[in-house]
Amino acid sequence: MAVDAPPAAISAALTETTVQVSSDFRGARIVLYGAVFEPQGAASDVVIIVRGPEQPVRIARKMRVAGLWLNSRPVVFRGAPGFYMAASNRPLDDIANFGVLRRLGAGIDHLPISAPAEQRVETRYGVRNVVVSSLGADYYDWRRAVVRLKEKAGLYDEDERGVRFVDRGLFRAEIALPAGAPTGVYRADILLFQDGRPASRRVRTLTVEKVGLERTLYLWAHNRPWSYGLASMAFALAAGWAASAAFRRD
Amino acid sequence: MDIYLPIAEVSVNAPLLVALGLAVGFVSGMFGIGGGFLMTPMLVFLGIPPAVAVASMSNHVAASSMSSVIAYGRRRAVDVRMGAVLAAGGIVGAFLGVELFRLLRLLGQADLVVAVSYLLFLSVIGGLMLIESLGAILRRRRGEPQPARRDRRPPWLYGLPLKMRFPRSRLYISVIPPLLLGAFVGVLSAIMGVGGGFILVPAMVYVLRMPAGVVVGTSLLQIIITTALIGVLQAGRNQTVDVVLATLLLVGGIVGAQYGARASARFRAEELRAVLALIVLLVGLRMGLGLFIAPDEPFILMQGAAG
Repeated sequence: MAVDAPPAAISAALTETTVQVSSDFRGARIVLYGAVFEPQGAASDVVIIVRGPEQPVRIARKMRVAGLWLNSRPVVFRGAPGFYMAASNRPLDDIANFGVLRRLGAGIDHLPISAPAEQRVETRYGVRNVVVSSLGADYYDWRRAVVRLKEKAGLYDEDERGVRFVDRGLFRAEIALPAGAPTGVYRADILLFQDGRPASRRVRTLTVEKVGLERTLYLWAHNRPWSYGLASMAFALAAGWAASAAFRRD
Repeated sequence: MDIYLPIAEVSVNAPLLVALGLAVGFVSGMFGIGGGFLMTPMLVFLGIPPAVAVASMSNHVAASSMSSVIAYGRRRAVDVRMGAVLAAGGIVGAFLGVELFRLLRLLGQADLVVAVSYLLFLSVIGGLMLIESLGAILRRRRGEPQPARRDRRPPWLYGLPLKMRFPRSRLYISVIPPLLLGAFVGVLSAIMGVGGGFILVPAMVYVLRMPAGVVVGTSLLQIIITTALIGVLQAGRNQTVDVVLATLLLVGGIVGAQYGARASARFRAEELRAVLALIVLLVGLRMGLGLFIAPDEPFILMQGAAG
């Protein structure tokens, strides 16, 4: 009886829940594996969304001014995750409709990043108080540029074949963190889709943290910048002094 | 062997950085320059954020200048009084330069100003040096005598108030020109990630008319004091000094400088100057090239929220 059958469910785990950034860190690949429990045998799709800590993006456009290529004023995009990955077993557009994907933020096109339309009030065509966004019609160019540059840095990724079923109900996916991945807590949403709607969800967290000397130096430099500056300069001058003593030729 | 730089937050090849330090150290030992103008562009080219490259170079320049100033001091080739006046200007310049760089980063114009400064100063200095050294080489080939150095000092140096005696340089001049020169070099040093020797040394020779023997040693004294202050200010104000990066560069830099200094004895001074002029000119033009060429990617991401 369909009524008595347990509902479809998804389960998942990460091979590592902590990524340690030490001096030999060159990025990391974390395997996510999981299983779909589907007693009815209905068609199921799996979508994985991984978001890093929020990191505002500052972006500028090069403009030609008097024959020279100069930077425009930078525009800040808020709400942008420092790392974003969407993986699924088939194209997202085939799995769910636009509204569902938008609500879940599934897919790079649905990332809720926005520029605070640097609005200013001007007098235009004799009409006062016209609100002008400085980005205006170019807005989508800017947004696409943010995504393009982040993808190039390996920080944003969308892979419509990223989730692979290795056996009936058993799937795996890989999260590739580049060396430039921000530190902090990452959230992985593992979603089971049936008939275009999310039927089950699991959330896993992943912590990327600096360890050892890297952590000590980073915290020191940011929490006590003046003592860090004095100490690193004292070290540099002492090293210079020692070198001249070592290479002294008399 | 890659190493992760904690402040720059990028992973770089450590042997490559040490080799870069060696190469630039060799060049700097050979020509008696700091080499910051070569190193900073290379670091940016390797993918280190410009703000971190510029700030960390102050530590590197301070250390390498320290390793050579002691040798000059032993030979009594340092005019401490002149060095102190230049450094007093340099301290003012350091404060101004670090704040200016901070402001430029917030406006998103830091890389532009760095490129323009490199283009302007390196191509002018490189061009002048090239003309001068090629002239000297040609005259020697033709067997003509080198023109005697004009010992007449520019009158405006003597018209200014606040005169001071500099016994070691055998000068009695106003302190205003060295103060201004020190301040100007301090600002450039903070913005360009250089020691500023390439401006300081010619200005001391041709404007202040200091005796050649004390010029390099004295300029090193000014550079150490100014870059030491800049390094601390950059760390305190901008948190952009990467001590791991500076240390890696230092290891190669110090060794390279020793071999460079030994190699320099084999070449004539004007030939060395001509080669250095070419290097300076090429770096300046290369850094400025981006201003004139249409970029492939019209957008650029600024590092983090702080720029």
